[in-house]
Amino acid sequence: MAAPRKLSMKQRYAALTRDLDWDLSYVDEDKAYPYTSFEGIKIHDWSKWEDPFRLTIDAYMKYQAEKDKRLYAVLDSFAQGQGHLQLTDPSYLNAMKLFLQGVTPLEYQAHRNFAYLARFLNGPGPRFAALCQSQDELRHAQTEIHTLSNYNKYYQGMHSWQHQHDRVWYLSVPKSYFDDAVTAGPFEFLIAIGFSFEYLLTNLLFVPFMSGASFNGDLPTMTFGFSAQSDESRHMTLGLEAIKFMLEQDPDNVPIVQAWIDKWFWRGYRLLALVSQMLDYMLPRKVMSWKEAFELYFEEQMLGGLFPDLAYYGITPPRHVEHAIAEKEVLSHQVYWTLYQFSFAAGFTTTIPSEDAQKWLAEQYPQTFEKLYKPLWGKAAAVVDNGGRYFYQGLPQLCQVCQVPMLFTEPGDPTTICQRHTEFEGERYDFCSDGCQWIFEREPEKYVQAWLPVHQIYQGNCGGPTVPDVLAWYKLQPGDNGEIAGNLEQTAWETWHATSSAEEQAPAPVAGN
Amino acid sequence: MQYELRTQVIEPRRKTFTNLTERYGDRPATRYEEGSVDVQATANFHYRPLWDPTHEIYDPEYSALRLTDPYSFVDPRQFYYAPYVTSRAHLHEAFASTLAYLENRDLVERLPQGWKDLVARAVIPLRHYESGGQLIGAFGCRFGYGTTITQCLSYASFDRVGNAQLLSRLGISLDGGSDGILVSAKQAWMEDADLQPLRKYVELLLVEDDWAAQHVGLDLADQLIYGLLYTHLDETALLGGAGAYSLVAQHLSGWFTDNRRWVDALYAAWGRDPEHGAANKAELSALVARLLPGALEGALGVARIADRCLDAGAVAYVETRARALAAAFAPEES
Repeated sequence: MAAPRKLSMKQRYAALTRDLDWDLSYVDEDKAYPYTSFEGIKIHDWSKWEDPFRLTIDAYMKYQAEKDKRLYAVLDSFAQGQGHLQLTDPSYLNAMKLFLQGVTPLEYQAHRNFAYLARFLNGPGPRFAALCQSQDELRHAQTEIHTLSNYNKYYQGMHSWQHQHDRVWYLSVPKSYFDDAVTAGPFEFLIAIGFSFEYLLTNLLFVPFMSGASFNGDLPTMTFGFSAQSDESRHMTLGLEAIKFMLEQDPDNVPIVQAWIDKWFWRGYRLLALVSQMLDYMLPRKVMSWKEAFELYFEEQMLGGLFPDLAYYGITPPRHVEHAIAEKEVLSHQVYWTLYQFSFAAGFTTTIPSEDAQKWLAEQYPQTFEKLYKPLWGKAAAVVDNGGRYFYQGLPQLCQVCQVPMLFTEPGDPTTICQRHTEFEGERYDFCSDGCQWIFEREPEKYVQAWLPVHQIYQGNCGGPTVPDVLAWYKLQPGDNGEIAGNLEQTAWETWHATSSAEEQAPAPVAGN
Repeated sequence: MQYELRTQVIEPRRKTFTNLTERYGDRPATRYEEGSVDVQATANFHYRPLWDPTHEIYDPEYSALRLTDPYSFVDPRQFYYAPYVTSRAHLHEAFASTLAYLENRDLVERLPQGWKDLVARAVIPLRHYESGGQLIGAFGCRFGYGTTITQCLSYASFDRVGNAQLLSRLGISLDGGSDGILVSAKQAWMEDADLQPLRKYVELLLVEDDWAAQHVGLDLADQLIYGLLYTHLDETALLGGAGAYSLVAQHLSGWFTDNRRWVDALYAAWGRDPEHGAANKAELSALVARLLPGALEGALGVARIADRCLDAGAVAYVETRARALAAAFAPEES
């Protein structure tokens, strides 16, 4: 008898993963996998899924355990050495407050819903890839919490992140975004998160935070960013494989996928409004402007690189993309100006950009900053000079879809607020843009369900009728919100630095002899 | 002699996140607590699932087994991601050295024929059983309520792929680097009359609506099958000159012991719940009464194969274990 042929690497991987599956015969396949038909996506052959990466469990565990060991060593030594004193400025942490309150819960939601895919996709290849991603996303949620945990001990705005994610007005922007994705079917989720979030927009979401960390002395977050990189590249290949797989399985899938790309591009882009102001206004030491990031990571890499490849399948660039391009000159300024006025009700602080910062903004945005936004900051400064602080009295109207306050302007006209509305079942619904209106009109039954924070406050569901009632319900503490100048983080920071320079003067202790 | 480093001391403003201070008082929290307790969203969900508009995104009503406070259950192993992967990296590394040891000394090849048959006909086919367990864990991870529970289910799901891969690697090794045994084991899983009750049981579990029913059902089968293959037969192997089998079995029985820690803690949390405790106990008894016969039938098929290969009292062992399980979950006398 001939000696048995040894398995090739590819065969061995298949034997260890997808060959574990079997064809069910005691129950109907439709009953075991009930959610892969209602969206209209046609899959003829699940075995055509190409594994985006080949990782057996033993290799995964070994690799991830080593990465975590290194990451936690950095976190421990940073905590022990009071590394937070090396930040450029405590106001830098506003970016991280936004990250912990707004992004970490999304990583967690991704963990849970990739588990849904790991159960309910019919093919064992994509199920296993989804299970790996589910594990990774839990890793990211937890390592982010642990990375920022040390800051929470000394700084404001991080102590009640999950409570606030479920309640605070601006956090309903990321929350509703992800709730939208996990309540969709499995294929739409793959396009929404696997493709649009993890591939199309990932460089615009994660890179600004991680680069901001490295520019501002936040070693733990930067280390986290590097540590997540190899996971993220697996997630990107999964997202790309998912879209190619759907497009290749049946031509009827193309228009469905195109509509999802259209929806999830705009949904994700509106979420990035929060990132745009972070890059341009929250970072004490700037990395790059939003406009520059958008041009590089979206226009160049995605519109210039990815979409020409997808054209082969009949996929075109997302609907309404021209509005996003037109907005790049004005987006961050409009958002931060709004946050400046409402930060009394936020888990972060805001201030008038310094003279240097305004100079930088004018250089980055020569068409718009000096003409349109510098005068606003001049007015705000005049109020401060008179001993006040300009906060908006009242509550903003929110867009029914993206839930950002209605602050965006008409395409091509930065001085007129854009307002759209649609009647549905006798009610009027308002939108910030053509993109959001279009999304609503595709699925009005879904978006009328939205938990809009401002409506909820008016209906008395948020702790009570007054602003202090609502802030207490948010669990905001003194120093979490409002103006940066003179708040308790700034005064504590000055005290710590005064102490530390006094100690540097003291004679060095002598090591034991 | 020691030296003193001077470091700047800054009094922290708080020891940990507010939710943990509210629960446990003003004390530092562990990384397990910070990364697990209260992490799942509980309020103000924006939309209902298109595929199940009767439920919220996370909803205690996905199961008949409830906890008043989901975080009254915590994992006794305190596994968050980092210690979990570290622990499993050790497990797989240890298994790899065992396998290398066995291969270097031809110990698998030298197993008595009855033991080789047992491995090929009863043990390796169960990599598919493990794969069913993978789906059950993933289901619970999505639909369970509260991160401490769903996190355990998530790791358990991943563990099942890991266990299936351990068994597959043993099969490949037993076949000299080829997949002949894996192929015949899969055929046995699909066709062997003694394995059909177990396959049927797993497939029926997959279409149970309640994640806890799936989880408990899997645990019943686990207790019989892991008990038989990796505890009962481990003893037999040591007495019967099949040390190589015991060397492999230790890794699976070690995993099972580890896994039991959280599974038992969850049973305990369900039982002692101030509001739902009595209802949970009744529900568990009913579940076990409904599911145990199928689990028993499935495990007995495996035991019959074992007894044909080895005459090791496998059927008797499984029957005894099943009686003990039935007694442990019997309704309380009122």
